[in-house]
Amino acid sequence: MSCWHFSLRRKLLPYIEGEIHEKDLKRLERHLLDCGLCRDLLLRLRAGHQMAQKLAHQVPGGDYPPEIEAMMAAAGEGTPRPRMRVQAWHDWVERFATPGVLGVLTAVLVAQLALLVASNRDVLFGQKSAATIKTSDLDLNDFHVLDIADLKLNTEPHIATEGYVTDVHTDKEEGTVAFKLVESQSAPGPFVVCEIMSPIKMAAPRDGSYVRVYGVSRYDAQTDRKWYEVNPVLDIAVLKH
Amino acid sequence: MFAVQRGDPEAFRELYDAYRERIYNLVTYSIGDPLQTQDVLQTIFLKVFRGLRGFRFQSSLSTWIYRIAHNECQNYHRAWRAPHVPLEAILGSHHEIDTRPVSHEQHARQERDVILQQALMQLPFKMREVVVLKYVEGLSYDEIGRVLGCAPGTVASRLNRALTELEERLRPFKRLL
Repeated sequence: MSCWHFSLRRKLLPYIEGEIHEKDLKRLERHLLDCGLCRDLLLRLRAGHQMAQKLAHQVPGGDYPPEIEAMMAAAGEGTPRPRMRVQAWHDWVERFATPGVLGVLTAVLVAQLALLVASNRDVLFGQKSAATIKTSDLDLNDFHVLDIADLKLNTEPHIATEGYVTDVHTDKEEGTVAFKLVESQSAPGPFVVCEIMSPIKMAAPRDGSYVRVYGVSRYDAQTDRKWYEVNPVLDIAVLKH
Repeated sequence: MFAVQRGDPEAFRELYDAYRERIYNLVTYSIGDPLQTQDVLQTIFLKVFRGLRGFRFQSSLSTWIYRIAHNECQNYHRAWRAPHVPLEAILGSHHEIDTRPVSHEQHARQERDVILQQALMQLPFKMREVVVLKYVEGLSYDEIGRVLGCAPGTVASRLNRALTELEERLRPFKRLL
């Protein structure tokens, strides 16, 4: 004969240990009253439980096994040891950080920093660098001289044209200076827009002055503007203040 | 724990010290042979050390280490089937055993430990393991289930069989225990 109450038999050990849930306790005790097999099993389990409780704790030897020791040593060599690094840093500071050495190091550092800032102004401050093109080197005789009204007939890239300066406008964000050049200040007529831009640096002409402008001829054909330009302006000769 | 994962040897030394005895117990009772125990123990901790970087805290650290130990002991048993040595071959039959009261308490305890250990070693590996995890390591049914990869109900059934077998084997030596 055998008892098929598997789930209750699994509760026998918790019952012995006093760790059985109350609902299982009543069921199990009722079953034990009726089942001799489970009562026998309970006695055997209790004896086995008491014997198992006497199993001794095995204590390993005190030394680290050689492979574990070697592994830890290898890990120590392969990984940084923060405490040792900090100590080494302190030793270095104490030995070399004299006022003289620190002064020289500071000067070098400042010089390096200044050089770095100067060479990266565009990146650091969004500014264009200083003029690198010297307009004095230009041969102004190579520029095609023509009236403002004749610009529409021009096919030459480099031109020179004369007129009165009006509507001087400085765009600080873009770093440009633009002005209009007209043939007559009193009557409306043809005009050309001139633009001074980096890397060419020159002073904007005074409003109302009569100037000759040297530069590259263009036609701006955007939707809101359709006009001729001298862009960029390469030189300006003031003919009449 | 994070220091161990970074490979700090001092932190691993602390972890090793914390778990060495617990794992040693499991391995000793699982394998029996002291020399083989040392080898298996080293292998377990080497695997723990190498595996710690990938440990994702999805289980408790102790469960994870016990699981490595369990797998390693299982591997050992698959490779080297422990020969079955009857307890009587070591201690003699119960008719030959001197049942007179022992004179020295320490000697009696040592003798009891040997008898218990040898009786346990006669059990199949799976039964032996649940007994050690429960009675030597003090793990709960749930924890044992997680280590062995089985349900707590299976742990309970296995424990029942293990304890009844242990009782049967030790019945002749009951007076000594």
